[in-house]
Amino acid sequence: MLEVTLYFLQQLINGITIGSTYALIAIGYTMVYGIIGMINFAHGEVYMIGTYIAFMAITGLAMLGIDFLPIVFAVALISSMLVSSTFGLAIERVAYRPLRGGNRLIPLISAIGMSFFLQNYVRISQGARDIAMPSVVTGGWNFGPEDGFQASVSYMQIIIFVVTVISMTALTLFINRSRLGRACRATAQDLKMAGLLGINTNNVIAATFVIGAALAAVAGTLLGMYYGVANAYIGFIAGLKAFTAAVLGGIGSLPGAMLGGLILGIAESMTAAYFSTEYKDVVSFGLLVLILLFKPTGILGKPEVEKI
Amino acid sequence: MKKKVAQKVLGLSASVLLAGSFSLANAETIKIAIAGPQTGDVAQYGDMQVIGAEMAVEQINAAGGVNGDKLEAIRYDDACEPKQAVAVANKIVNDGIKFVVGHLCSGSTQPASDVYEDEGILVITPASTSPEITQRGYTMIFRTIGLDSHQGPTAGRFIAETIKPSNVAVIHDKQQYGEGIATAVKKTLEEKGVNVALFEGVNKGDKDFSPLIAKLQKEKIDFVYYGGYHPELGQMLRQASEKGFDAKFMGPEGVGNKDISQIAGEASEGLLVTLPPAFDQRPENQDLVKAFKAKSQDPSGAFVMTSYTAVKVIADAIAGTDSQETDAIQDYLRSNTFTTPMGKISFDDKGDLKGFDFEVYTWHADGSKSTVN
Repeated sequence: MLEVTLYFLQQLINGITIGSTYALIAIGYTMVYGIIGMINFAHGEVYMIGTYIAFMAITGLAMLGIDFLPIVFAVALISSMLVSSTFGLAIERVAYRPLRGGNRLIPLISAIGMSFFLQNYVRISQGARDIAMPSVVTGGWNFGPEDGFQASVSYMQIIIFVVTVISMTALTLFINRSRLGRACRATAQDLKMAGLLGINTNNVIAATFVIGAALAAVAGTLLGMYYGVANAYIGFIAGLKAFTAAVLGGIGSLPGAMLGGLILGIAESMTAAYFSTEYKDVVSFGLLVLILLFKPTGILGKPEVEKI
Repeated sequence: MKKKVAQKVLGLSASVLLAGSFSLANAETIKIAIAGPQTGDVAQYGDMQVIGAEMAVEQINAAGGVNGDKLEAIRYDDACEPKQAVAVANKIVNDGIKFVVGHLCSGSTQPASDVYEDEGILVITPASTSPEITQRGYTMIFRTIGLDSHQGPTAGRFIAETIKPSNVAVIHDKQQYGEGIATAVKKTLEEKGVNVALFEGVNKGDKDFSPLIAKLQKEKIDFVYYGGYHPELGQMLRQASEKGFDAKFMGPEGVGNKDISQIAGEASEGLLVTLPPAFDQRPENQDLVKAFKAKSQDPSGAFVMTSYTAVKVIADAIAGTDSQETDAIQDYLRSNTFTTPMGKISFDDKGDLKGFDFEVYTWHADGSKSTVN
């Protein structure tokens, strides 16, 4: 009995870890959608760039002989957030702003173009090979009987979870309490009206791209340190999973993105645990289809009235 | 001013002339396509293939070429993707090349060889070990490597007779190569009475294996065989050591590559790998090894010597038949013995090597390997 419980607990921990990073990336999709009603297809690439920058920062510090973990982690996180935010801003400026107000398909296509451009830009500038990095954080806690199955949490998993919770809380506070957050919510409700009331909607839209990119960079740093491998194409599958999480939770809704990410992560890990690893994508996408059949707006999404 | 323009015109026409004469000289070469992953997550194997094949071309040319004609190696990148492999095959057809050394991944070689067989292009793969490739009655495909139907049993016997584990898990990546060899290993283990507690596929490109590792721990697995390539196994090793899961891991030649040590770090110490014999250790190959070292290339990669050999036998067959007709050459390949860095080799009717065996090595965290005694 104890073993069954511990095993379930272990898989829950695994699911939450991976799910919380999906949620971090999903925020970027859902925020942009909430405000301008479009999907930012270049968002996965921002995550990939975040991973690369974190790798560079960590290797750079290692070359300087600095290996004190909090410093390494902070420098990697901050530099990757800064660079990725700049990319987020640039994506908005280049691929979205000039096309705003036209046909809705056009920015969609320009975002896909942007995604290809960024992939190949990284591929050319950083090489087509996988880059690998040894684990920075090792070890973990085990609990359970000495001779039986032990559930374990690695320190890296704890870091992922804690950093995600901090980022999510900070974002929620920012959206609910700050001036810019209020402007974001107003713009999400009615872009034109917000503009009429004196909100600089251009800045607000740029800010959502920047915030989304910064969170994707957090995910990129965390997962980069967890897996220790990156190439120019990791953004695609991560973006796809996060997009699924955002749709699952109800695109446009922040708590929805968080919930969607967790559900997706836990569904994947439970499938791997009790059925077979090869079916985990089948189950998670099957879940998406089911939810969309019965609740087309996603779990926490509100029905759109006329924004489209 | 006028003089300057005249000079430029002269220079330009001279360079055009040079270029013209250059392409004229080029027309005499025998082109060999080197098709494999030059980008992507298994590009390291492509490197082994390229340095091996290009060294062979260089040395054959330095020794006067093939019946007076020079060889020319041209690289094609299939990124180990079946779709891209077919596109590459069609490009090779359009470029009018008659000889291919490649592809690497079995999943790429198989669809590409359909194109080559139709077009009468001779292919020698230095790395694809999936048995099916040579079992379709094709005449144009050969390999300078063993088969998974041999490699699997070699690994299986080793596990059953030397390691004697009580609970084995066999994991694979659902690809032609990975699943094929995993199935062969499982079959041998079961014949030997070893308990295979888990046989499961993972998705290629997956990075998170923590649920799988928890499952292995719960099933009290003490030995894991993984059929696939190093990016996935590297992650598994890394995450297993983080979780304190200390079973022994083993994989086929697709995991035996320095990158696995980069991904998994210390966790790659003690990994067991079946590889082609270390041809670079043989005394008769020491001159060749020196030639590689002089170019700061690493001759110890699993596919370096097999690629060198592939080019060598093509050149020998062209010289032997004194023609570039692939039909005559495939006949010649099947009926003759060739002296290569892999020793004296000959091909059977299917195009497989006669008497090729894999050996078991222990992998080390610094990316080196040593034979298991």
